Amino acid sequence: MVLFEVFINGIILGGMYGLIALGLNLQYGVARILNLSYGEFFVGGAFIAFFAIMLWQVNPLLSLFVSMPLAFALSWLIYQVLMVPLIRRAPDQDALDADVVLVTFGLFFVFQGLALVYWSGDLRGYSFLSSPIHVLGATVAMNRLLAFVGACVIAVVLFLVLRYTRFGAALRAITIDPVAAGLVGIDVRKYSALAFATGGALAAAAGMLVSTFVSFSATTGVGYTLKALIVVIMAGVGRVTGTLAAGLLLGVVESLGGYLIDPALTIAINFALFMLILLLRPTGLFTRA
Amino acid sequence: MDRRTLLKGSVAAAGLAALPSVPAQAQSAPDKLRFGYAITQSGPLGPGAESTVVSQYKLWHKRVNDAGGITLKKFNKKVPVDMIGYDDQGKPDELIKLTQRLIEQDKVDMLLSPYATHMNLASASLSTKTGYPVIYTTATTTKSYNLSKTHKNAFWQIVQPVEATTPLADYLARLKKEGKIKGTVGVVHPTVEYGVEMHEAFVNAAKKAGLNVVVTKTYPFGASDLQPVVREVMGANPDAFVCMSYPPDTFMLTEQAKIVGFNPQFMYVAIGGVFPSYQSKFGKNAEGILTYGGQDESVPGYAEYDKAHRAMFNRPSEAGAVSVYAALESTQQAIESVGSIDRPKIRDALASMTFKTLWGEYKYVDQRCSSPWAVGQWQNGKMVGVAPADKKGAKPIVFPKPKWS
Repeated sequence: MVLFEVFINGIILGGMYGLIALGLNLQYGVARILNLSYGEFFVGGAFIAFFAIMLWQVNPLLSLFVSMPLAFALSWLIYQVLMVPLIRRAPDQDALDADVVLVTFGLFFVFQGLALVYWSGDLRGYSFLSSPIHVLGATVAMNRLLAFVGACVIAVVLFLVLRYTRFGAALRAITIDPVAAGLVGIDVRKYSALAFATGGALAAAAGMLVSTFVSFSATTGVGYTLKALIVVIMAGVGRVTGTLAAGLLLGVVESLGGYLIDPALTIAINFALFMLILLLRPTGLFTRA
Repeated sequence: MDRRTLLKGSVAAAGLAALPSVPAQAQSAPDKLRFGYAITQSGPLGPGAESTVVSQYKLWHKRVNDAGGITLKKFNKKVPVDMIGYDDQGKPDELIKLTQRLIEQDKVDMLLSPYATHMNLASASLSTKTGYPVIYTTATTTKSYNLSKTHKNAFWQIVQPVEATTPLADYLARLKKEGKIKGTVGVVHPTVEYGVEMHEAFVNAAKKAGLNVVVTKTYPFGASDLQPVVREVMGANPDAFVCMSYPPDTFMLTEQAKIVGFNPQFMYVAIGGVFPSYQSKFGKNAEGILTYGGQDESVPGYAEYDKAHRAMFNRPSEAGAVSVYAALESTQQAIESVGSIDRPKIRDALASMTFKTLWGEYKYVDQRCSSPWAVGQWQNGKMVGVAPADKKGAKPIVFPKPKWS
């Protein structure tokens, strides 16, 4: 019975991993921008939710109506103002990657510094839906379940948009080959900016959902950037639904491994799985050969 | 270096040593007393250093100067304080370099503690070599028990692992004797040095007290889900749940114990349990939870301190910060009793005087604070000190912990 609960909690945890990685995969997979300040958008979403409930007694879910458009607009601006000049002058993707990493690393410091100045370095947390719910006999925290449901909803919506809309078809074309996409009349800059901005908004949403059960501070963002990057690389760059699947795999392996072997090894187990996938499928689990 | 320069150097050194020291009477009072510190302001430990330590340096600096400065009775004069601070970026080698700079270039009169155990230990060697007495405010390690003989200038402010955990074991043993509990304990800790040392100290104390540690679990620092860990402890159904935890897992363990409905009669969380944010997150559910540290807000002067703290930082203080502020008060009292900046005498004053501070009354016995607050508990929404039980202002422990609501 406990084993089953561990399994269910592994799925829920995996949903959280998928959730934090979905936005980054849009940014890295479609817009081809490896955004090292991704975690700061996550932390921004968490702080806005925190202020909503602590200062204004507003349901933190409603804070999404503020944080997601804000993150969307800011990410769009960053793409148009900072990234486009880099893309223009870069001779190839490798040179672009190097420039982008430096610039977004700088952004990370700017955002974290501002957060430290205005919000201080204190650890924040609040209680929201922190009561148990029974799923098939296993006890699950409602706030964690909410984050899991959020991850599934976002993944399904993204999947449907990518698969069945003209906009999605354009994004998929850019993912496969941005040059060819431009040649057939797709406005690569416009669509990439939208994908990048959507990624930022999803980071803020993930931050809000995760902040209901993990305490955070102005400096926790970078940890989430790294976690998200691991999931994205496991799934395969540009594979959106694969991101959720890779997150789930990571969560279940971590939980079961921790329970069956030793909880002290959970991080080691995570990285062992990551290395195994890098060795066996270096382009990611869900990338078509 | 060839032989000639070596020779010149040693002649010069001998000459310097032979110079008569300036007679004390000829000195006039200094315009300023210079206090210096190198501390972590960037990197993962930066925020903690700022809220617990640097904030107190700033607040004390302002309050002591508002009062005119430190009284040097030798000159019959109050001398204002200057503060010089550097960022060591969390690197011990940087800390050493900057501390040397403070001593050699800035010529500070006194040094203040850096942040975190390993940095405190790194600084202790240097302060001993250079003759600067320092009260280290953020080190908890069993190593401190052996340092008093070799590190004469290092003083240790906060409670060390044995003193922090023995009151827990003794209290549980008493409950067992009174027949209120069976005496079973479950312990968890993250795999960081602090967690390991606190765990060892507690398990030793528990065994001595005749308690039965029925389950021990470890987890990596920064784990995303601790429900399996809590489940395993819950499965062993201990009377007491003791977490030698660090933030953020202090918060996660509390929340997940509540989620799975694990209601131990006695629950302890270590670092972070005293934070006001812990209380604001858990509200009523924080009631009865025991934690590392503690304070007594009824000591004289606390209300004024709290008011000044809120005015400067727009938030209440926390128990850890109060212990840092108290170390500054002790330093000031030692300087004022000596009456001048004579560091060997200040060192001896620190080692022998009794200090009255916001953290209560104490001495430094073997250079360790004789009665630091060891255990605190949330009672009626306030953090109160419950151990050492014989410390002035200590409240009785509330038992059992109320069930989660």
